[in-house]
Amino acid sequence: MSVNAGLAHVSTDFMIAALLIYSLALLAFAGDYAFGRPRRKAAAAPVAERAAQLAAVGAASAGAASAGTVSAGTVSAGTVSGGAAGAGSANPAGPVARPERPAGAFRAIKDAGPWVVAAASLSWLGILAHVVAVTTRGFAVHRAPWGDMYEFITALTCVAALFFGYILIKYRAWALGVFVMGAIVIALGLAETLIYTPAGPLVPALQSYWLSIHVTAMTLSSGIFFVAAVLGIMYLVTERYRKRVAAGKAEANPLLDRIPSASQLDKLTYRAVVFGFPIWTFGVMAGAIWADQAWGRYWGWDPVETWAFITWVIYAAYLHARATGGWRGVRAHYIQLLGFASLLTNIFVIQIFVTGLHSYAGVQ
Amino acid sequence: MTDVHAPTSKVESKTEAADLEGEATRAFGTGPAELAESGSGGTTGPSGTGAGWGRWAWRQLTSMRTALILLFLLALGSVPGSILPQEGADPASVTQYFTSHPTLAPWLNRLGLFNVFAAPWFAAIYLLLFASLIGCVVPRTFKLVGSARTPPPRAPRNLARLPQSVSYPSALTPGAAVDAAASVLGGQRFRLRRPAAGDSGQWVAAEKGYLREVGNLLFHLSLLGVLVSIALGGLFGYKADQLVVQGPANGFSDTAAALNEFHPGRLVTESDLAPFSLTLDNFTASYVDSGQNIGQPAAFNANVTYHASPGSPAKNYDIQVNHPLSVDSVKVYLIGHGYAPVFTVTGPDGAAYNEATPFIPANSNTMLSDGVVKAPSASLGFIGVFLPTAYLTTDGTLESIFPAANNPMVSLIGYSGNLGMNSDVPQSVYQLDTSQMTKISGSPHLMAPGQTWKLPGKLGSITYVGTEQWVSLEITHDPGQIPALVCGMLALAGLLLSFFVRRRRVFVRAEPGPGGVGSIVTVGGLTRTDASGGFEDEFATLAADIADVSAVDSAADVSAADPNQPEPNNQSETGA
Repeated sequence: MSVNAGLAHVSTDFMIAALLIYSLALLAFAGDYAFGRPRRKAAAAPVAERAAQLAAVGAASAGAASAGTVSAGTVSAGTVSGGAAGAGSANPAGPVARPERPAGAFRAIKDAGPWVVAAASLSWLGILAHVVAVTTRGFAVHRAPWGDMYEFITALTCVAALFFGYILIKYRAWALGVFVMGAIVIALGLAETLIYTPAGPLVPALQSYWLSIHVTAMTLSSGIFFVAAVLGIMYLVTERYRKRVAAGKAEANPLLDRIPSASQLDKLTYRAVVFGFPIWTFGVMAGAIWADQAWGRYWGWDPVETWAFITWVIYAAYLHARATGGWRGVRAHYIQLLGFASLLTNIFVIQIFVTGLHSYAGVQ
Repeated sequence: MTDVHAPTSKVESKTEAADLEGEATRAFGTGPAELAESGSGGTTGPSGTGAGWGRWAWRQLTSMRTALILLFLLALGSVPGSILPQEGADPASVTQYFTSHPTLAPWLNRLGLFNVFAAPWFAAIYLLLFASLIGCVVPRTFKLVGSARTPPPRAPRNLARLPQSVSYPSALTPGAAVDAAASVLGGQRFRLRRPAAGDSGQWVAAEKGYLREVGNLLFHLSLLGVLVSIALGGLFGYKADQLVVQGPANGFSDTAAALNEFHPGRLVTESDLAPFSLTLDNFTASYVDSGQNIGQPAAFNANVTYHASPGSPAKNYDIQVNHPLSVDSVKVYLIGHGYAPVFTVTGPDGAAYNEATPFIPANSNTMLSDGVVKAPSASLGFIGVFLPTAYLTTDGTLESIFPAANNPMVSLIGYSGNLGMNSDVPQSVYQLDTSQMTKISGSPHLMAPGQTWKLPGKLGSITYVGTEQWVSLEITHDPGQIPALVCGMLALAGLLLSFFVRRRRVFVRAEPGPGGVGSIVTVGGLTRTDASGGFEDEFATLAADIADVSAVDSAADVSAADPNQPEPNNQSETGA
């Protein structure tokens, strides 16, 4: 079937729109860092108010002498202790609040101030434009829109953006916006300028419904690993900086307080990998089934297969390392980043420069 | 998956939990005794005896650190397999590499780097890895069975010291409050434990998520299954290649003698070959003929007629790239195609050659192809270039500008003399040994279909009759395929279970309230490896559910009246 040129243009326009909106979102995330509501104060204020109220209630209802000594810190921990930091403990001496159910994410975004509201809205608007761009490209070429390198990168960044949009809400992760959005803008911008390929039909080897299944899974997991890699780099950089500050070698930077703590970044990275790894595994398996249909064997150590295997093994090593004392923290993050490096090697070195059955990139 | 090699990880969680009351963390499967037994990466040296060394070596092998190192070696060892040409995938490139790197290639060959994935050292890595895996999985299976029989541990005295805890007043008596909490937990299919006769206080201990361990084991055992399936395919499967030229006269039967190349598994004999036969009726290749992607293949269709066995009826099938033919347990794939110009050669003594001659594509974009015509009875040989869409450029060179046979031409260089085909050394059909031959004047000679080149000096003539096409088919039989698929799917299922089920414990303890009125209820919880996250939310929700049935009303009023309810701490995960 021929390419629908009109739709192909719509796709390109939306892609550029997405890039621009992402750039604005990036600015808004940066604006939040520069001028936004200081988070620690914002969080502390209502807790203090509540502590006063609770102290009064405690004194009235139970009449316990200890109620008057309940501090803001204990109350906040007592409401639901733990959380990501895992710190704090309830004060058993002072009966405190009745436990509450987790609160909504949208309110949390609203409470975080106008910069975060703007950044989150722009992010989702950009994601919408991005999804439209990828979808229309698919309709323009009558197939899953990840048949060549340009399409693959735009789809990958779309998944990364969607995944970020998800953790933005689920984990209130706006502090990561500058970094994740920054990486997405760079990757999408490079795709637009360096490897843009006009919409075209597929070679016979790619004419299979397995293209949608296999490449979708690889794109999804790559997008998620992309976010994990950004988090890993943030972890390494801030961890190093915090250590230097602690050792008195560097001056404390107030910006650092706005970046999630090392343990939070560590946990988020781990969750991203835990999310991406089964999808990658599934993608490799779907690829094997497709390879069996197209090439007559399910595994043949084609260079791209080999590197997908290498990537899988390294991420498996990360998951094992994280469960091992002595390999946690910085070392585990290096392994995780090595995994992403091998993923990138596969996309940008092996698929383009090494001849194999997977040479479909279409990059000249 | 994260803790098949649990012992070392337990060191960590043990120190983490050191200030907790030991009972609560007893347990998600391991204790200090097991720690000492399965080792934490060789902190203790071997004892002098042989058995001691054996135990020490086994402990080393099954430690997580060794598993990690083996994983890295596996990844590292795969790299040369993707950079250097491999005998399994591309033997021609290996030969090429030997020619272009005469000193380096033999050394790489000695290290097995041209056949990495069949090399002994590569096998050593993955076999050690699997041995290490078994060493962890088997003891763990027993442990799982054991833990499934053990009730949850007693509730610790001070629940507030657990990672998650919450405390609130209740109007109910301690016993009634705990009963209410137990019914909530039981309703959510937690496994419960209540105080026994000798235990003091009012509490309930609950545990859930045993499937996590099951998934973990399933994943690793299934990986082992994949390896066994691959071995099965290697032993009982086979692979063959066959080039088939269009036309009823050029069919083939699936017998070892008839096949161009036959790669049987170790335990496969010729009699195991599926007894089918096949002819290529028609092959069509279509290409994009305009626009930016001009010349890119759009579709390949090989229409074949086959007999599943010598006596069975003829059937037709359209083999395409993603659409192989299945005959019995064998699959036939379309893996290549090309042109076979038909030549007749007449020597001084009459007709010497009349065949469609497969030419091998030298350029996959233009399908410019190379081939050889050998007519030993006429002492003639020709080296030819086939151009499907011939085009004479302005500087006088001849090129093919499109892969379809729109303007087919053949350019031949003729040789006369001894073709050297009587010697014992087998010759490739695609190469002409010109060492004992002389070049015929007038070479190279360009021909269009139907044209005849009368060779000088009464040597004879050659006619380019027309063009047929050929396909190369791959015939495979792999009995390990289905087991590998099943194991792969089980591995994935195990992976998902181990990631998304969390093993967690919740304890509820109630003490008499101030002045003996009501009670103070404390709910505490902990989880081991919360891979996918979300225990904070689950705990908060669970604690709220328990509070719904046991809390005092005044506390509920406080929550409802308070416009600034602090959100649960997990809100602060990244935001604050």
